[in-house]
Amino acid sequence: MAGMSSKRLQKELVKIQGTLPPGISLVSAPDLKEWQMDISVLDNPLYPPADKYRLRFTFSPSYPIEAPEVVFLAAPDRNIPMHPHIYSNGIICLDLLDSQGWSPVHNVESVCISIQSMLASNTKAERPPGDKEFVRSNRQRPRDINFLYHDPTV
Amino acid sequence: MAHLADALKEQGNKAFKNGDFLEAEDFYTQAVQKFSRNPLLFTNRANARLKLQRWEGAVNDCLKSLEISGKAQNHKAYYFLAQAQLSLHHPNEALSSALTAYEQVRNPAPTTKTSPKDLETFSAFVLKCKKAKFAVRDRERLRRQGDLRAEFENTLELNKQRDLDEVSRDLQAGDLGQVEAYERNQEILTNFENKRAELLTVFALADPSHHKPREIPDHLVDMITFEPMHDPVMTINGHSYERSTIYEHLKRSKTDPLTREPLTIDDLRPNFGLKAACDEFWDSGASDWIIDW
Repeated sequence: MAGMSSKRLQKELVKIQGTLPPGISLVSAPDLKEWQMDISVLDNPLYPPADKYRLRFTFSPSYPIEAPEVVFLAAPDRNIPMHPHIYSNGIICLDLLDSQGWSPVHNVESVCISIQSMLASNTKAERPPGDKEFVRSNRQRPRDINFLYHDPTV
Repeated sequence: MAHLADALKEQGNKAFKNGDFLEAEDFYTQAVQKFSRNPLLFTNRANARLKLQRWEGAVNDCLKSLEISGKAQNHKAYYFLAQAQLSLHHPNEALSSALTAYEQVRNPAPTTKTSPKDLETFSAFVLKCKKAKFAVRDRERLRRQGDLRAEFENTLELNKQRDLDEVSRDLQAGDLGQVEAYERNQEILTNFENKRAELLTVFALADPSHHKPREIPDHLVDMITFEPMHDPVMTINGHSYERSTIYEHLKRSKTDPLTREPLTIDDLRPNFGLKAACDEFWDSGASDWIIDW
């Protein structure tokens, strides 16, 4: 039903405008379809705490039954963080964002926290294998890509 | 005569699909005149009349349909009836019709057709009726106390109703197209909601002890939709969800939303204790209005 995502997002927005964990902030939520969030990492030398990374959330009307689409955006003062699971076009390979790993009890805040901790625990400043090829050839939406989770520990 | 009626019904359905509700209503009426013992003719006409905002006509059709179908399941008639009753400002009656529709799709008779979306739709409508009933009772209570806010709220409500009735009249007189009428209605409703929200905010600021918004306790709220529950069911790990939302989730992924362990509809159990707590919440003479439904 069309109403599910809008009701739920309105309520999430009220909560988010109140308090958010350190390093996570709301940039814009002009409507109930697309939001942007900024995250920074507090204790990993690979990502200086002053650097912020921009995330774009896109919601379908069936959110939260369906996962939101979450990608990093590049902007003049925002880079795509170096990470073996983040392609240079901003697409993130994270199990909780695909339809198998998603659960409707997740929300925008918990997704941000997961991505933040995925960056915080990273030790390799590199792109996923085959990044150039993927970025050049991929025309699929992130949710339709079948990632191989070759490294479940990261 | 029955086959003539069926042919007319088909034409009515086609007109309905094309969005021509006046024509659909006309075909259904002709069908009824040929053969008036088919409950579906009446539910279909009721649906067309809902679109045309002919609420009384829709109520009559639903009642007629229910009279013909007797004890057999007829959830559509109850659902359309609930919609018409809510539009006519009878939230109590609307709630009871909506609950009957909900119960009937939840435990369908073996031969009846139900659509997979019915449970979710009806569940959402039950919630809508509960909120309407709750709001009316809240205003009643304040009005008895001679409260200024209730008086303002009533005036807003009356104005809204007057504007909506006007649109209905224009629509039926043919002065207004269906699309236009729909847009007008949306505008009236948005306007009303904004003004009401503003009014409540002003009163909450001026007199927090009487008009402070009340939070719905977390344990009565479904973790998926963030809406208050009315038919909670429990998973094997002890967490409860609104029945229609967890069904919707299980259609896509047969896992427990929290633990990811395998979970199917058969593993769910009604949570009677929590249901009683939800009912108690709905019936608690609202002492404050509720923020952000």
